[in-house]
Amino acid sequence: VTSGWLALAVLLLPLAAALVAAAARRPGSAHGIAALAMAADTVLAGVLAVRVVGAGAVEHGPHATWIDLGAFTLGAGVLVDPMGAILALIVCLLATLVLVFNAWYMHGDALAARFPWQLCFFAAAMLGVVFSDNLLLSFACWELVGLGSYLLIGFWFDRPPASEDADYQRRKGRAARGVLEHQLSPAHAQLKAFMMNRVGDAGFLLGIGALLAASLAAGRSGSVLDFAQLHTLANEPFAVDGAFLGLSREALLFVGALGILCGAIGKSAQFPLHPWLPDAMQGPTTASSIIHAATMVAAGVFLVARCYPMFPPDALAVTGWIGGVTCFVAATIACVQWDLKAVLAYSTVSQLGLMFVGLGAGEDAGGRAAGIAHLFTHAFFKCLLFLCAGAVIHACAGAQDLHRMGGLRRRMPWTAAAAGAGVLAIAGVPLFSAFFSKDAVLAAALLHARSAGGAAWGPFALACGGSLLTSAYMLRWWLRIFAGGERDHDVVHHAHDPAGTARAVLVALVPFALALPWTAGGWLDHALGAPHGDAQHAAHGTATAVAFALLAVGAGFAAGVFWWLPRRGVDAAAALAVALRPLHAFCADLWRIDALWDRVVARGLGRGLAAIAARFDLGSPRRLAALENAEPAPARDAASLDGALDGLGRLCWRIGRGGSVLHAGRLGAYLAVAAIVGCGGLLLVLLR
Amino acid sequence: MIGPLSSSLLLPLLLAAVCVVQRSLGLPRWLALAGSLWSFGAGLMALASFAARPGGDFRFVESWTWSERFGAHFAVGVDGIGAAMLALSGLVTAVATIVAWREDRHPRAYHALVLLLLACVNGAFVALDLLVFYVCWEAVLLPMLALIGVFGGEQRRYAALKFFVYTLAGSVLMLATLILLWRATPPAGQRVAVPPAVVALQSADGGASLHGLAVRGDANGIPTVDVPRGFDVRHLALQWQTFDAATFLGVPLATFGFLALLLACLVKVPAIPLHTWLPHAHVQAPTAVSVLLAGVLLKLGVYGLYRLAWPLFPTAAQDFGPAVGALGTAGILFGAWVALGQQDLKRLVAYSSVSHMGFCLLGLASLTAAGAAGGMVQAVTHGLSSSLLFVLVGVVYDRVHHRRIDGLGGLARPMPRFSWLLLIGALAGAGLPGLGGFVGEFLVLLGGFTGKAPFPWQAALAVPSVVLSAAYLLWMVKRTAYGPLRHAEHAALPDCDARELWSALPLVIGLVVLGVWPGPLVDALRGGCDALLAHVQGVRP
Repeated sequence: VTSGWLALAVLLLPLAAALVAAAARRPGSAHGIAALAMAADTVLAGVLAVRVVGAGAVEHGPHATWIDLGAFTLGAGVLVDPMGAILALIVCLLATLVLVFNAWYMHGDALAARFPWQLCFFAAAMLGVVFSDNLLLSFACWELVGLGSYLLIGFWFDRPPASEDADYQRRKGRAARGVLEHQLSPAHAQLKAFMMNRVGDAGFLLGIGALLAASLAAGRSGSVLDFAQLHTLANEPFAVDGAFLGLSREALLFVGALGILCGAIGKSAQFPLHPWLPDAMQGPTTASSIIHAATMVAAGVFLVARCYPMFPPDALAVTGWIGGVTCFVAATIACVQWDLKAVLAYSTVSQLGLMFVGLGAGEDAGGRAAGIAHLFTHAFFKCLLFLCAGAVIHACAGAQDLHRMGGLRRRMPWTAAAAGAGVLAIAGVPLFSAFFSKDAVLAAALLHARSAGGAAWGPFALACGGSLLTSAYMLRWWLRIFAGGERDHDVVHHAHDPAGTARAVLVALVPFALALPWTAGGWLDHALGAPHGDAQHAAHGTATAVAFALLAVGAGFAAGVFWWLPRRGVDAAAALAVALRPLHAFCADLWRIDALWDRVVARGLGRGLAAIAARFDLGSPRRLAALENAEPAPARDAASLDGALDGLGRLCWRIGRGGSVLHAGRLGAYLAVAAIVGCGGLLLVLLR
Repeated sequence: MIGPLSSSLLLPLLLAAVCVVQRSLGLPRWLALAGSLWSFGAGLMALASFAARPGGDFRFVESWTWSERFGAHFAVGVDGIGAAMLALSGLVTAVATIVAWREDRHPRAYHALVLLLLACVNGAFVALDLLVFYVCWEAVLLPMLALIGVFGGEQRRYAALKFFVYTLAGSVLMLATLILLWRATPPAGQRVAVPPAVVALQSADGGASLHGLAVRGDANGIPTVDVPRGFDVRHLALQWQTFDAATFLGVPLATFGFLALLLACLVKVPAIPLHTWLPHAHVQAPTAVSVLLAGVLLKLGVYGLYRLAWPLFPTAAQDFGPAVGALGTAGILFGAWVALGQQDLKRLVAYSSVSHMGFCLLGLASLTAAGAAGGMVQAVTHGLSSSLLFVLVGVVYDRVHHRRIDGLGGLARPMPRFSWLLLIGALAGAGLPGLGGFVGEFLVLLGGFTGKAPFPWQAALAVPSVVLSAAYLLWMVKRTAYGPLRHAEHAALPDCDARELWSALPLVIGLVVLGVWPGPLVDALRGGCDALLAHVQGVRP
């Protein structure tokens, strides 16, 4: 069996599992079927990964023509490379573990039987993105990934919005600052996620158009959207006639790359399209654990890496800046969140920004390999952190407010330890996984900044700022939940570690939060083709020092404010919040980005303009109601396109009515008209 | 001998007559189902022929002379485009029949009218003779008028009259064009030169004959044919130079005729600003008639553009193409925005039609293989997806007796099957890959992107509609199906029953099949589209 066919099997097995699991009525059997299928898929993906990473080559699998359009064809096919094979393995492995954990987590939930098939479908769509060999299939699977997240975020579809939820109002306390309450419902969150992704996808479509136009201008035919073809496009001189939006060759390639980046910004929750991801925590925590790790958000980073040869330096610069801004903004927001899932959600956004900083550094600086390596390591510790969060929420009867947690390490030692490993990993403590990958990202950004100079220092500086804050807010998160004394006995007094298999899942994830599985023998660097040279070594040395300093400052600050001082009876965090009130409020208001989207786009461009358009077209609702009841509508309400055309009809009718007087059968009138016309005519003839 | 195409016109007529003369109240629906499935089968068979052996020729041609003097024939035949439309009309009519399975107001008359409508629509889709086309095109109005005006809601008269006046006003000019075309052609016929590319694409026998006329070479080796005077659309298209040269009221006949046909078709499509009959008609029509209106009738307009306006007047089509594309783009965006502002479920779906049908205009106008084929794919898939949405709106209406979105909410709990179907319909409308709606939209956009200026601009402007269509459809789903149950009395609403599932499932299956495996349909359509493009672009490369 070739690797291509094996990849196809890895892709189709979850799809089949989704169909079978959807037919299963009982939650237990649905979870069992799905978990077994995903476990088998993990084995297949493992075999594939070992084989492909060992060979270290890109392999093209089966390819079929989907639509033949003469001048070019659209196809569907398989492409396997080390990066994709490793990501596929991660997707399958995490999906399996999440399914096992979820069987415990959703025990007794009436909708639990739906989760397995939706997760399998989600994984299948993601594997489609991973193994796709052309931009069209990537886009198609990309959208299906969006559908998967839509279903999972809206899993508890009938929960009310927070503004109507008495229970939430009672619990929220100070935690809900900056949150748009009418948006806090699964039904709204799923819509928001889909819509914001669509905004990115609109750019993606335009990018596909630009690349297609460029390919045709270069005189190509056949399956022009294949990555193999597109990758060589940038090296080829060709003339364009400016037909595509009047763009030159360089601009065309730039727009193409920017379009793909736009899609990635949506899917990977980059600024300014990031607000959907924190809201997506309205879904089950287990769904969050997979959305934030291996599927969905990973797709954007992966696609940029897949399209890397198509990215001109300008587009990479944009990528780096977007990533830097995202990394920093999200980190500042994460510092002041009081919802235990919201902290993790913004930390995901921030870490994804870091990956984009890496990608923006360019191939020569090792940016692509660093960004992807961070994607891999992040997937595991973020999945671990979310599952721990799920265990805590489960144990605290649904409470998510960090004000009311505390001291849980005694009641939940396993969870505390596992979450601790996750926190150490994300903070980048030596011997843990992110120390390896974050250091690589910073080194790449540094190297790129040194060589490019000027504006290229921006992403590096922002990434450093984000990293500094990361260690602070993650430590705060852990300390708030697990350390200190109990703050609210009602919330925590039933808490206990998850049972059997769920606990085993947490334990199984911990080793991957360590650096060793990733660095052993340098296999990952080798597989991802990271460049090795003196410049890289020097940058690594500096970056390690910088990362270490950032970690020490951030962690020291957090330990002081959230652990050492409180133990001495000083509520340093509250004092700090008061001292920095405007800044604190600004961050707690999410930099007003959510509110801006809501006001300007959703209410303004969306509903506002739609109401105007509807009014322009059919008139006011009063006119429609009047039509419904066969009453005449006031002229003011009828002022519209339809009303004007109705008016035209009435005018014709009036002219007809007016004309009908002329032949109403009144003999006198006929005679009078005949006499007047006759005399007039006679006069005209005589006077001429 | 009556072939599959004429039978798809004559059988429904015959069955309609049977509906009226027989006494049983239960039989007519079976007859309507039989008639529609027959034409679905005929269309599918023709489509299979074109998918297996793509080509731009017309197949299953049947012709009976009607009037030797006027060159009028009862001539039918299809290319891939006509075959797809025939299959669509059969499927959608079958669905509409199942939707109206329990229609208890005058069931004999109702199903007779549906069969009559089917016969007329099929007649327009398979006609090769302009007279037959025109008669069927106009005759469609009468059963539709009756279906809305008799079986509709409170304001059915207003809506039916509006529908009738709009479409009739458009078609009067079509009649004028028809007469002018006859007047412009020489009585004894004429010899015209045909570009070799067109012969190669449209000839059924490798270039020996073209549309039943022998192909000869002139002194320079350029193929020529002797075209008799008549109303065969294929023959009229060959004489486009005659219409370019002739004038009417001081304007070239090509310009006048193109604009006249354009107007007639744009009313039916409907394109802005001629669309405002549609929301009224949909709101007043019963569910099954809305399905027919959206699924079949609107396609007549698109089909008229493909079959008449572009082939008969290729130079004018090139001149006015950018304007038509702009109209399509404007309709895509405007329709989507208006749909976003609707509170009535049916009106929302009606405006989504305005938006989606704009893609058909943009695709055809772009004069690219992707665009033209994509426009027809969009016509087919829109027929399926909007029919599905109308069926589901009908499901809600049957239960709660209103269509206000704000009077619904949280229906996913009591009606899970309904909600899943609604989500599928919405996603198909929003162009999700894997469902039919994506293929048409995507191909049209690709066609626009790869067309000549200004079509890339228009396609780029149309791109935001992927955001808007998701917004109005999924927001509708959210407000209808998700969230807590808004009205306690809806807690015990029954879910979709077997009849409702039977009416929705064929459409869902169609959408999935076309979304996953559109290759055969596109192959079949491309024969006709490539022939059209070669003809139009051949006149002025």
